[in-house]
Amino acid sequence: MSGGASVALEAVTKRYGTETVVAGVSLAIPAGEFFTLLGPSGSGKTTTLSMLAGFVIPDEGRVVMGGQDMTQVPPRGRGLGMVFQNYAIFPHLNVAENVAFPLTVKGAPKAEIQARVAEALAMVKLTGFEARYARQLSGGQQQRVALARAIVAHPRIVLMDEPLGALDKNLRFHMQVEIKEIQQRLGMTAIYVTHDQEEALTMSDRIAIMDGGRIAQMGPPREVYEKPDSRFVAAFLGEANLLDVTRDGALVRGPGGGAIEAGAGQGTTLFVRPEKVTVSAAAPSGGPNQLPGQVLHASFLGNVVRYAVDVGQGATVLADAVNGPGAVLHAPGAPVTLHWRAEDSRLLAA
Amino acid sequence: MTDTMILPRRLLLGAALATPALRGAKAAGEVIVRTPGGVYDDIMRQHVYDPFTRETGITVRPVAATGAKLIAMFRANNVELDLIDTGDKQLLALENMGALAPIAYDQWRWSKPEDIEPEVKKTYQCGNFTYATVLAYSKTAFPNAHPNSWAEFWDAGRFPGPRMLADAATGSPNFEFALLADGVPKDQIYPIDIDRALRAMTRIRPQIRRFWDTGALSAQMMSDQEVVLGSIWNGRLQTLIDRNAPLAYTWNEHMIQVQALGVFKDARNKEGAQRLADFMMQPNVQAAYAKQLIYGPTNKQAQQFLTAEEKARMPGGENSQRSGFYQNINWWEDNRDRVNRAWSRWVLR
Amino acid sequence: MPLSRLTAWLLLAPTLLLLVLVFLVPIGWFIGGSLAELGTLSEIWEEADAVLFSGAVGGAILNTNWIAALVTLLVLLIGYPMSYALSRAKGLVFTAILLCIVLPYFTSTIVRTYAWMVLLGRNGLINQILLGIGLINEPLQLMYNRTGVIIGMTYVLLPYMVLTLYAAMKAVDQRLLQAAEGMGASPATVFLKVFMPLTLHGVIAGVLITFILALGFFVTPALMGGPGDIMIAMLIEREVELTYNWPTAALMTIVLLTVTLILYAFYARISDQGEARR
Ligand SMILES: Nc1ncnc2c1ncn2[C@@H]1O[C@H](COP(=O)(O)OP(=O)(O)OP(=O)(O)O)[C@@H](O)[C@H]1O
Ligand SMILES: [Mg+2]
Repeated sequence: MSGGASVALEAVTKRYGTETVVAGVSLAIPAGEFFTLLGPSGSGKTTTLSMLAGFVIPDEGRVVMGGQDMTQVPPRGRGLGMVFQNYAIFPHLNVAENVAFPLTVKGAPKAEIQARVAEALAMVKLTGFEARYARQLSGGQQQRVALARAIVAHPRIVLMDEPLGALDKNLRFHMQVEIKEIQQRLGMTAIYVTHDQEEALTMSDRIAIMDGGRIAQMGPPREVYEKPDSRFVAAFLGEANLLDVTRDGALVRGPGGGAIEAGAGQGTTLFVRPEKVTVSAAAPSGGPNQLPGQVLHASFLGNVVRYAVDVGQGATVLADAVNGPGAVLHAPGAPVTLHWRAEDSRLLAA
Repeated sequence: MTDTMILPRRLLLGAALATPALRGAKAAGEVIVRTPGGVYDDIMRQHVYDPFTRETGITVRPVAATGAKLIAMFRANNVELDLIDTGDKQLLALENMGALAPIAYDQWRWSKPEDIEPEVKKTYQCGNFTYATVLAYSKTAFPNAHPNSWAEFWDAGRFPGPRMLADAATGSPNFEFALLADGVPKDQIYPIDIDRALRAMTRIRPQIRRFWDTGALSAQMMSDQEVVLGSIWNGRLQTLIDRNAPLAYTWNEHMIQVQALGVFKDARNKEGAQRLADFMMQPNVQAAYAKQLIYGPTNKQAQQFLTAEEKARMPGGENSQRSGFYQNINWWEDNRDRVNRAWSRWVLR
Repeated sequence: MPLSRLTAWLLLAPTLLLLVLVFLVPIGWFIGGSLAELGTLSEIWEEADAVLFSGAVGGAILNTNWIAALVTLLVLLIGYPMSYALSRAKGLVFTAILLCIVLPYFTSTIVRTYAWMVLLGRNGLINQILLGIGLINEPLQLMYNRTGVIIGMTYVLLPYMVLTLYAAMKAVDQRLLQAAEGMGASPATVFLKVFMPLTLHGVIAGVLITFILALGFFVTPALMGGPGDIMIAMLIEREVELTYNWPTAALMTIVLLTVTLILYAFYARISDQGEARR
């Protein structure tokens, strides 16, 4: 196995006309990492990936791979494996020929091509489909062909642009596992684009969340999920409670005037995930991070009950209670007290 | 002279088979006549059709139609015109199919049958003018000595340069000239020895830029100096010369051909057609249009209306008696299949 | 929204009716009537044997196929890059190229032929220029020979090829080309291994339609050709117009029609496959 290579973008900018699509993006991805670009549609993910691939030349900044400046090198000189947003399977070639393509254009010997194609197809569990054409394959199978083709030449870096975008939920989950497994087995550096936050959290070593051509935050999944630096990141990654708080000197006060203590941050928006909030029928005990309120409604999700609690001043807090042994259900209208630990919450800029 | 347009036969079938009825409501008062079209119609309107209408109240409508279209009309039992003004060979073919009515010489009021040249006065057709195929040359290419006979035309060593001759598509390829060039005396051309004619043609073929199939093309090729020598209808060439083109021709060994009138036996206005033919054959009428077409009148009495210079430009007069010969259309009509097969094969070699 | 069968037929009905009336009926009348003149089937067969294997017809068929093939090849070689440029062009450039290709169709054949004379004649523009710059000493013969036929037919048939290829090229998914490039293919490889195969059905369709049209050509070879450049359609015309030998013409027509229909069947299949691919 060839292993991976490091990848870096240094203050890369791309403009189309007057619109800046990617604005001064810098990233450093160590060899072998599974790195994900996550962000809403139009945030510049594909453009960033295209600059890594060489389809798009940045207006400013550098693209570095394995320590070498690749900014001006055309795609064919970069030796990348690629899975495209729509698979891009050649309709005039069968599965084996499609997978063999990166080797054929390199002029690899026939025997080697055969062996590698067989290996790649085995890895994506498509052995026996060699002679089929794209139009004779299901979406999931086409996706595997694209994956096999991306890895067949054992590239040190593989780029994947929403490879699972067109698949249904079950298949997606299944493929996520397979992709991750193959990436780890081959030790490749993977740069993965998605706008599905759950997918990003499951698969990645690190995630960069993009917003309007910039990286809003970058870090391991747990860090970006639990310690967002901005309202945008907090809200984009799953459900988040974002409560307006007021500052009274050194003291921070919540909607009902109760004292708030947060793990970190300086702003006037309090962030806390619903699953970090406990709901109890007892009256507030007087400690910090206790909010009295009234249950607006309770959604029964099976393993979890999601409460929407009115905490006064028009603010609503979501709280997820695990439907564990002896769990009590609070009916709508019931008075409750919400509570969370200081280290599970942050103060964000408004 | 069966055509003057450049694409005469292209629309043949469609036109022959899909033409809606030409005849309108005023059937009785109208004669529809097939003509070669173009300038010809203008000249004839001025000197024949309009005067005829003034005299009789019968209007005349010229239409274009190819030989095959005429045959198609006859075969489909849908004759849509009355008088046919076309090459004599064409009319002979129609006559042989039984498509024509005899010319009503005994009914003539304006013209006297006995004034018509006997060569062109026939039972089923009457020649209305003669035209000649002459040997033309470029004065630029031959400022001094120029070919004066078909033998000299064939002599590419003495008179080099690209040439043209008529294609079978004009009605007949220039076999007569080939035989003259090969030493056959004028009075022994017919019956034509096709093989001998083609052998002679083979000798000159490398010099032939093109066998012309329409009058327009022949004129174009001469005036563009695309060829420096060629056979061509005298009227076509004279028109170019009158416009100062550096071209000339010799009357020596010219071939006289006949444009003639015939009446469809199933014509709706047979009587009108016969009367128009009668009208057209008058000496002064013939002289008037012949002058403009630069072709020869067939009514002997027409000569008196022409000046000496005018006669010198036309076939049929003294020029022809001295050095011309009539094309034998009977031989051509009898050998139509043989000639065309042999020609096609030869041309494709 | 796919049309129902009935709707499709109803929409086609006026066109079909017109075709039957002005095309099928006359052709049927002509062929039927002409052959009936010959008599029994065996007599027809005898005549067919005599006509089709006589020297002139064989020569013309050979000529026709050879000219059609050569013209098709030339049209393809010129048309392919042209279509490529067209498929890439946008806005004004696109309109300009398209106009150049289609505009000549708005002029009549006669005007076009005279334009050729001015250009290609012995004293035409091209010869004058070549003589002027001393490239040649004698005027080249560009007209009234095989060269003229090929030039003229290539020109007239080019749009059919270009528009057919254009459609095929426009339908190529640009992302496939980019993908190939990303997988390490050089521009030449992208072209040969991806673009060409993806436009191949267009090439085949274009070649067939050009060849079919070339087979039936009449006007251009008649106007631009030399003595020997007789194509089958011209021979048919001669039989109709000069020899009045309609049965013979009918037999040749049947041959031409049959060959054309067979080629057309191929063409239809290939365009269908092209459609199915997308
Ligand atoms: N070639 C181009 N010309 C002009 N604008 C472009 C071009 N490519 C992308 N853009 C613009 O750049 C912005 C970012 O596009 P990009 O494709 O990178 O987004 P994305 O994050 O991949 O979105 P998605 O999730 O929808 O795929 C968009 O506003 C897009 O319209
Ligand atoms: Mg994208």
